[in-house]
Amino acid sequence: MPTERWWLFLLPSGLILSSVMLYPLAYAFYLSLLNYDLGSGSHAFIGLGNYATLLTDQRFWSSLGQTLLIAVAAVGLEFCLGLTIAYGLYRLTFGVRTLNLLMFLPHIITPVVAALFLRWIFVGRWGLLSSILISIGIFPPDWLGSPNWARLTVVLADSWQFTPFMILVLYAGLNTVDQSQIEAAQIDGIGIWGLLFRIMMPAIKPLIVFVLAVRFMDAFRIFDTIYVLTSGGPGTATETITMYTYALAFRLLEIGKASALGVLILIILATLTGLLIAVAYRRERGVL
Amino acid sequence: MQRRLQTQLALFAGLCGFAAVNLVPIIWTVLTSIKQPVDAFSIPPKLIFAPTLEFHYQVWVEKQFWRFLINSVIISVCTVCISVSIGTMAAYGISRMRSVASRGMLFGLLVMRMFPHILLAIPFFVLAHFLNLINTYTAMVLALTAINQPFTIWLMRSFFLDVPGELYEAAVIDGANAWQVFARVALPIVRPGLWVTALFSLLLSYNEFLFALILTGPDTKTLPVAIAEYGAEDISYWSLSAAAAIGIMLPIVAFMMMLQRHLVRGVAFGAVKG
Repeated sequence: MPTERWWLFLLPSGLILSSVMLYPLAYAFYLSLLNYDLGSGSHAFIGLGNYATLLTDQRFWSSLGQTLLIAVAAVGLEFCLGLTIAYGLYRLTFGVRTLNLLMFLPHIITPVVAALFLRWIFVGRWGLLSSILISIGIFPPDWLGSPNWARLTVVLADSWQFTPFMILVLYAGLNTVDQSQIEAAQIDGIGIWGLLFRIMMPAIKPLIVFVLAVRFMDAFRIFDTIYVLTSGGPGTATETITMYTYALAFRLLEIGKASALGVLILIILATLTGLLIAVAYRRERGVL
Repeated sequence: MQRRLQTQLALFAGLCGFAAVNLVPIIWTVLTSIKQPVDAFSIPPKLIFAPTLEFHYQVWVEKQFWRFLINSVIISVCTVCISVSIGTMAAYGISRMRSVASRGMLFGLLVMRMFPHILLAIPFFVLAHFLNLINTYTAMVLALTAINQPFTIWLMRSFFLDVPGELYEAAVIDGANAWQVFARVALPIVRPGLWVTALFSLLLSYNEFLFALILTGPDTKTLPVAIAEYGAEDISYWSLSAAAAIGIMLPIVAFMMMLQRHLVRGVAFGAVKG
């Protein structure tokens, strides 16, 4: 059979990907070498100047720090909650499907709409949380208006949307663990938590690594939620690296500098993806 | 036995509690959307009030949110048609390649899936600006098709892997050419997977925000952009934006019901939120 012919099937998709994804990407690299102001249309080649400016830019480092802080906190919370709930569902003998479906709802909603739902819970004074606190006589903090509360709110919002993802994937993973292994451990008199930490978690380790890495990378790009909840505020307290890039490109129209920042994000993410592949593909067909 | 039942009930109650807390923001918004502003702004929050559908009507008809719905539908449906057909062909090609080459391709696609969207958004905007494509459906459909490709190919490939290789060989012996093997042998077998992929792809396009924010304009604005603008405005429009938000959510609930058996596969490949 002429195997050479199969590449023809890749052609349409390849054309789209190279013209709408790879070409713009190369163009972005080019733009990152320019001092390009879209407002006035002036552009000049400045080599790596944008990168040099960014690496000494206080706002870049602070946004990188915010991003890491928010991503680590959110993914950590999602994983702990997700694992606990998934294990609970695993041990439950009835009603699992309905519960799973109910819990999944926040994940599948349009991110912007989900963020609005939460905005209406946390918004100062009129939000559900504040009005409950006020009516029982507690003066609520300004959830979205003070730096630390705003960060916490963003973490909670991300967790609200992505814990269901963790639950679904981890629950599916727990169900693939070999029954005989579990029974053997139970005969040895292992407790329920011992079973989870010593038998089941090691058994689904590749899946755990995969899901943590994917989630971390997505959380690293967080945009929709923050755009709606705090738009990076108060001040720049919740300005993540994507929000900063957006502000540079589409508010200040500094296209060159914004592209350079985008390239830096890509480099950071590429390093992380490399780690993911190294770990997840060490065991062939270990996941999915 | 008695103790076992007790722990099961406690576990069930605990999980129900978690699910209930999770659903509070949604339920609260549903309530807000059918409340008069007087009731919506009361402290403590009111649970008993005279419900009204007035705001749903106002926002979708009078404030013309139906136009954004039409934009969303046109863009999502065009994207799905293009993306799933070319993605399916590519997935078939990859599934028939030798493993070294296919692994390279799949790795490349995974890398593309991880691209920060904001980095693509900048050249998209500049190029669309020069090609006069801002505020057209074309720009959005092209952008969404491209970012949908990695996911579509990965997911479709997982369905093609289930097709037994002997079928292809038999078809070739019967004298089928490359296209006939694809269209008459492989496609009918993966048809259920095709629907699943199409629905996930539709969801991804319907939910997309960043590209819609920069590439659409007054005539092509999609629902997420419209609601983000509207919801951020004066809070006195609260009931109206809540009604719009609920309306946007309803089709998604329908999707979820249709896809429930396939959620794990789709979600693991990065559907829903790309």
